Amino acid sequence: MNSDSTGSRGARFNVGDRVRVKDLPNLFYTRTQMYVRGVSGTVAARTYEDLIPEDEAWNRDDAEREQFYIVRFRQKDLWEGYPFELDTLQTEFPDRWLEPVSG
Amino acid sequence: MPSRDELGEYYKIGTQLAPVVHQRDDWPYEVGHPQYVAYMAPPHDVGGQADVPVCYEEKEEELWELNAYVTCEVLGWRGVWNAEERRRRGNNDLGLSLYYGFPYYGRWVWAAARMLVDKNLVSLAELLEKTAEVKARNEQR
Repeated sequence: MNSDSTGSRGARFNVGDRVRVKDLPNLFYTRTQMYVRGVSGTVAARTYEDLIPEDEAWNRDDAEREQFYIVRFRQKDLWEGYPFELDTLQTEFPDRWLEPVSG
Repeated sequence: MPSRDELGEYYKIGTQLAPVVHQRDDWPYEVGHPQYVAYMAPPHDVGGQADVPVCYEEKEEELWELNAYVTCEVLGWRGVWNAEERRRRGNNDLGLSLYYGFPYYGRWVWAAARMLVDKNLVSLAELLEKTAEVKARNEQR
C-alpha cells in the first residue's frame, strides 16, 4: 500500500465503484456490522480520512489515517426475502475493510 | 449492609441474567463454530438481530444524564480519553448483561469510572470509598 507524506494510506476507491466488505473475524470491538461482511455494494461517497476504529479505540493516535467511504447496499442483498426491490442501506467503512469487485 | 433477604435477591437476579436462550455452558472444552461466532460478536453490533416491536419513547434527558454527558466531555478535554472511538468502546465493552441492563448514560458513567481506574488516575479503593461516602450523604437527606 502506498503512503503519502501525511501518513495516510492511499484511497483505492471512487464513487460508483463496486466493493465488497471483507469478511474479517470479530475480536473485541468493531464498527463493521456483521450483516454487511462479505456483501457487495457501491461506493456512494468518499467522506474523510481518519484513524480506523480499530486503532482509535485503543488510542493508537499515530497510526496511519485512512480514507472512509459510504457504501450503498441493496436491502435485498443483505436480507434474504427482503420484499422491496429499490430499498437501500448505507453505512461507512475505512479503506481496508473493502475489496474491489471486478465486473 | 444488605439484609440477608436483599443479598438473596441480588444473587437470584444474577442467576437470571443469563442469555434468553438458555444453553448449559460451563467452560466447555469444545465450542462449535456458530457458537464461537455468536460469542465473539461484540454486544453493541445488534443490527440484524430478531426482536419484537419496541415502544418508541420520547424522553427528555434527566439532570443526572446531562451531568454524565458533561463529565465525560470534561474528561475528554483533560485528555483522559481523547478518542471518541475509545470512549465508545468503553461504553459498549462491558458484557451483554450490563450493555442491555443499564440505561444509555449509565453505561457512560460506568465507562468513565472504569477508564479512570484503568489509567491509574483513581485507585479502585479510592473510588469505592468515595462512592460509599456519596451514597451515605444522599441517604441522610
